[in-house]
Amino acid sequence: MKILRYTLCFVLMSVSAAAFAQSDMHKPADTPAPSAAQKSFATMKTLAGEWEGPFAVAEMPEMNDGKPLHISLRVTSRGNAVVHEMQEANTPLDPTKYDHPLTMLYVDGDQLNLVHYCDAGNRPHMTGKLSPDGKIVEFALVDVSGSTKYGHMEHAVFTYIDATHHTEDWTFMMPGDKPMHAHFDLHRVN
Amino acid sequence: MDREWNDSQPIYRQLRDLVVGMILDGILHEGDPLPSVRNVAAEFRVNPLTVLKAYQQLVDEGFVESRRGRGMFVIDGARALLLQGERQKFLGEEWPRVYATIQRLGLKAEELLEAASDRPSADTPRSNDAKEKPKS
Repeated sequence: MKILRYTLCFVLMSVSAAAFAQSDMHKPADTPAPSAAQKSFATMKTLAGEWEGPFAVAEMPEMNDGKPLHISLRVTSRGNAVVHEMQEANTPLDPTKYDHPLTMLYVDGDQLNLVHYCDAGNRPHMTGKLSPDGKIVEFALVDVSGSTKYGHMEHAVFTYIDATHHTEDWTFMMPGDKPMHAHFDLHRVN
Repeated sequence: MDREWNDSQPIYRQLRDLVVGMILDGILHEGDPLPSVRNVAAEFRVNPLTVLKAYQQLVDEGFVESRRGRGMFVIDGARALLLQGERQKFLGEEWPRVYATIQRLGLKAEELLEAASDRPSADTPRSNDAKEKPKS
């Protein structure tokens, strides 16, 4: 009788465990679809890698001599952040010595955020939106912490062309709110 | 060139000051082209975008002009304009501190003139700055 009781107990436990496991298996179907911010962030993550290419400043076409820039995009913090670093090609990545501006991207709630740590000493905060075709992430300024006496970054656009090619457009506001538009045409080097 | 940048201003602003110094010291003359972005970026190991920011600042201030397809040039009258601005800046910002120090130390006018006569003429380009001129 005692053996029968133990057997029955074991069978009941197994059945409940199986039922629980099955309900867990169905869980992914109930997970909400990724938000617009998460989709935008996923697009930004596809750009992870090393990129190089020439840049041009619209306000000074006569000074655009094809000097290449190197852009590094790295997914970090268990996928919670993307680090973007900008430097002259073929220089050591040493932000303590050279003016290599750093930008962090992350999702907070329903927004894709960008914080640019500028050589001008301030930190513009922007939020981004993905275009309907899923290829362009455009960031608009929300606020700036730190002094804007020497200007600040105002706007950024990342355009995905293919796995080995993307462009970036950065707008820097000079003192007196005079914009400088820089366009980077970047090809993957790693 | 391994130039030490100070942390009180962004590098583009320090590059702008360097070019202003070159104009005031007569190293860059009115009508001269500014050094290429490529050369300045390589020589000072800065982001080319930083060089362009410095040049744009000089355009915005009216010391430099952009000539389509040719580059950027120091405008006629830039030195006089700069001197006027720098003199006002000195008299407004630095002179009160200098004057307060003179008063505190009880220095007499003749002592200051004698000390000034020992200094090289301000019209002579400073040798250190001359060495820093980027190649164009």
